[in-house]
Formats: sequence, structure tokens, C-alpha cells
Amino acid sequence: MSFQTVFQSLTEGFGLNCLIFAVTLITAIPLGLLVSFGSMSKFRPFKFLERISTSKILRAISKFAPIRWITRTFVWVIRGTPLMLQIFVVLYAPGLLFEMPLRSRETAVLIAFAVNYAAYFSEIFRGGIEGIPRGQHEACQVLGMTKAQAFFRVVLPQVVKRIIPPMGNEIITLVKDTSLARVVAVTEIIMCAERFTKQGLITPLFSTGIYFLVFNGVLTLFFGWLEKKLDYYKG
Amino acid sequence: MAILEVNNLYKSFGKTEVLKGVNFSMEQGEVLSIIGSSGSGKTTLLRCLNALEVPTSGQIIVGGDVVYDSVVQKKPPKEDQRRWQLSCGLVFQSFNLFPQYSALDNVMLAPSLLAKERPDYKANKKQIHEELLEQAQALLNRVGLSEKMNNYPCELSGGQQQRVAIARALALSPKVLFFDEPTSALDPELTFEVLKVIRELAETNMTMVIVTHEMNFAKEVSDRVIFMDEGLVLEDGSPEEVLVNPKNERTRAFLGNFQK
Ligand SMILES: Nc1ncnc2c1ncn2[C@@H]1O[C@H](COP(=O)(O)OP(=O)(O)OP(=O)(O)O)[C@@H](O)[C@H]1O
Ligand SMILES: [Mg+2]
Repeated sequence: MSFQTVFQSLTEGFGLNCLIFAVTLITAIPLGLLVSFGSMSKFRPFKFLERISTSKILRAISKFAPIRWITRTFVWVIRGTPLMLQIFVVLYAPGLLFEMPLRSRETAVLIAFAVNYAAYFSEIFRGGIEGIPRGQHEACQVLGMTKAQAFFRVVLPQVVKRIIPPMGNEIITLVKDTSLARVVAVTEIIMCAERFTKQGLITPLFSTGIYFLVFNGVLTLFFGWLEKKLDYYKG
Repeated sequence: MAILEVNNLYKSFGKTEVLKGVNFSMEQGEVLSIIGSSGSGKTTLLRCLNALEVPTSGQIIVGGDVVYDSVVQKKPPKEDQRRWQLSCGLVFQSFNLFPQYSALDNVMLAPSLLAKERPDYKANKKQIHEELLEQAQALLNRVGLSEKMNNYPCELSGGQQQRVAIARALALSPKVLFFDEPTSALDPELTFEVLKVIRELAETNMTMVIVTHEMNFAKEVSDRVIFMDEGLVLEDGSPEEVLVNPKNERTRAFLGNFQK
């Protein structure tokens, strides 16, 4: 077997890893932001009970914030179970529960990844947003900015700066996680390499590491550059 | 007509009553200092007057507009509250500049966002921006920071940051400008430059409410002084009346702390 064949096969496989990586990033970042808003929601439909009653039970009910409760439960479930299991669930559950089987294993993988990473990102975003001092929000308010203006022009840029290190970590993990697609026979790079192993050739499997190393090397450089670029201010 | 009128303002946090019926009013161009011991409710009062805190009850009138009246509604609608906040300016004890923007952009941000709501914005975008830039430069010049316009807050001293914050508040031409202990986060040698700016503002007839522990400054710059104690206005009069010849025993005790 020629080097050419192996190289071509592995590169093709890694193309899929890159696709999963890119689609996950593009979907999980906005989705994660949405989830983070949900987990910070102050919506309390029974808040009025607080004022009209002194009973302990009713007061406890008045504290109930359904959106926050739902999103935090979602985050707990997603972070509390293996991504591998989630891929299986996304692939098989629609067929078993609603008799609407997912035709494409690739789609199942993409959905599972997007949802899983949205949950992780949302916690990073929440930490970043909650870490912005209250004084920043108040300064925006007294300057007559709308909530949206305050968020996008003042808060978000500061959040971006703060979350670069944890996001860098998470995104590097994502690169490696893409090989989990293999569990539902999506022919990503490791699965491609295993075909050669079955034919008695072990080097291709070991060489897949180079692909991941190079990709993550580039990412590391990128995040380093980004961090430097935002280093012009403190806070 | 009074530019600011505060009637029977109450504010509680849970069970703690902080403001217990505050009453005062002030005329256009007046400089009012508020003094009082720690915990007497001065910050809470300013926060209520700037819609950062919802009072428990009472009435607030700014420039003839009833911006808050607990009898009418618990909390004004968003748009009304925004207009109220635009008509007042607040300078914080801790500056609260936006770290990612230069001094100039800190001053320009709010006015340029506001300008987008002008009906002629699309047509005169360039000209409007030009005007706002000139205005911001003039303001920074006025607070003595023409050299530092392009510096970021982290590159400025505390006194310089506070002067940027003052310029930022002035950029929206508020009817009343509030200061909450503008110099108490500063090293003593830096308070002078901030007080100088406030003094100059007083000379231009800016209506100001200044919460301060700088008694000499209050005496010199104010037209009127209010002494607050435990959520109430105990004394209200000229600097002479309140700071030199206080009638109230509590005021005398408070001022006594400063003479030592
Ligand atoms: N958000 C809050 N929740 C509960 N209590 C509060 C809150 N803000 C202020 N208080 C209480 O209200 C009282 C008055 O506080 P405030 O900050 O208005 O005093 P102050 O006159 O500004 O004091 P200082 O001179 O120290 O700044 C204090 O007893 C404080 O503990
Ligand atoms: Mg205070």
C-alpha cells in the first residue's frame, strides 16, 4: 500500500473531522449564548406571591424561575452524560420514540455535537457575563443606553476578552472530540486509519495524531494572537 | 420653577428602611452638597434619583416632568425611564469607565448611539458624527485632558479617569449632574484636579448635586448644603447655616468628627 493511498484516505477522513468542528462552532456559539441567557433568566411568574403572602411555601414558590430551571437542568444533563451516549441517543431516539428515524448518521453527529458544546459554551458565557462588574451596566443605564446597546457595545466586548482562555481550551477539546463520530460509523480520520490496521498496517493509525497536533497547534497560535490583540486594555 | 423636586421619598431594602421620607428641591444653576455619616442613605438617594433603584414610595420631578410617582405607578415604563436617565447625569465614586474604549470613545459612545434615533441621522450621518467628535474633544479639553484623548482608562490615573467620567456625563447635557463622592476613591494629591473641574462647572451655572466628605470644598462651592441622617434630611440651608452654625445636635456631632 502506497503512502499516497494512506495520505489521501486519512486526509479525506480528517476533512470530516474539520466539517464537524466547523459546524459545531458555528451553531454552538449562538446556541450557547441563548442557553446562557436562559440560565440567567430572572423571569418569575409567581413573584407576586412574595408581596401578598408570608407563608414559607408560597414564598418558595414565588422564587421559582422556570426558564432558568429548565436551562440549568438541560446543562446538567448534557454535561453529566457522555457525548458518545448523546450521539447514540440523537441517532436512535427519534426512530424509537416517534418512528421518525434519522436518515443520516452525519446529521445525528452534528446535532449531538452542537447541543453538547452549546451546553459547555453556555457556562463559559454565563461566567463571563456575570463577571462584568455591575458598575458597567449601571454606567450604561445612566447614559441612557438601551439594554441591547449596553450588551453589544459595552458588555459583550469585555466578555469576549475574558472568555478567550476557557474557550480556547474547550475548542481544542472539540477538535479531538470530533473523532467520536466514529462510534456511529461516520468515516472520520480514525475510522479511516483503522481500515488500514485491519490490513495489518499500524502506522496510519498512529499518524492520525499528527493531523490533530498540527490543527491544534494552529489553533493555539490563533488564540495566543487573539489574546495579544485584545491586550491593549485591562478589565 | 424648581429643576429638581423630591417629595416624601422612601426606600427600603427588604426590612431595612434606608430613606424615610426625603424632601428637598433645588433651582436651576444651584449647587447642592449632601453630607452625612456613612450609611445615612446618600448613595441610595442618588441611585433613586437616577432610576438605578426603584423607590418604595414618593415623587421625583425633574425639570417640571414628573419622572417618578409611586401613586401613579410602581415603576415607570422603559422608555420614560430612559428619558429620565438622559435628563440626569451621574458620576460614580468608582468612575465605571468602559475599559475597552479610549477616553474620547468613552465620551462619544452614548451620544452617538443616541444620535441614531434622530430622524435626520441617515441623511446627515457624517456631519452629526463630526459634531459629536468636536463636542467630545471640547469636553475633554474642558476637563484638562486634551493630551489624553486616545488613552485607554487603564493608562490613566484615578483623577484623570474621574475627569473622563465627568466629561462623559456632560456629553448628554443633563439638566442635573449628580456626583457620589467623586474623590473618595482617589489619592489625596489627585482630588484637587477633580475638585477643580467641579468648581469650574459650578461657575458655568451647571446644576449639581454633590455627595461629599470634603467639608471645605462643600463650603466653598455649594449654594446650599443638606445634612442627611438615618434616611432623613435633618438640616437644609446655606453652607454658613449648615456647616458653620448648625442648629441640629446631630449635625454638630457629625461636623465635630472633621475638626479633629
Ligand atoms: N442593595 C442594598 N441592599 C440592602 N441594603 C442596602 C443596599 N444598598 C444600601 N443598603 C443599606 O442602606 C444603608 C444606606 O446605604 P448608603 O450606601 O445609601 O449610605 P451612604 O450614606 O452612601 O454611606 P457612605 O457615606 O458610606 O457612602 C446602609 O445601611 C446599607 O447597608
Ligand atoms: Mg455612599
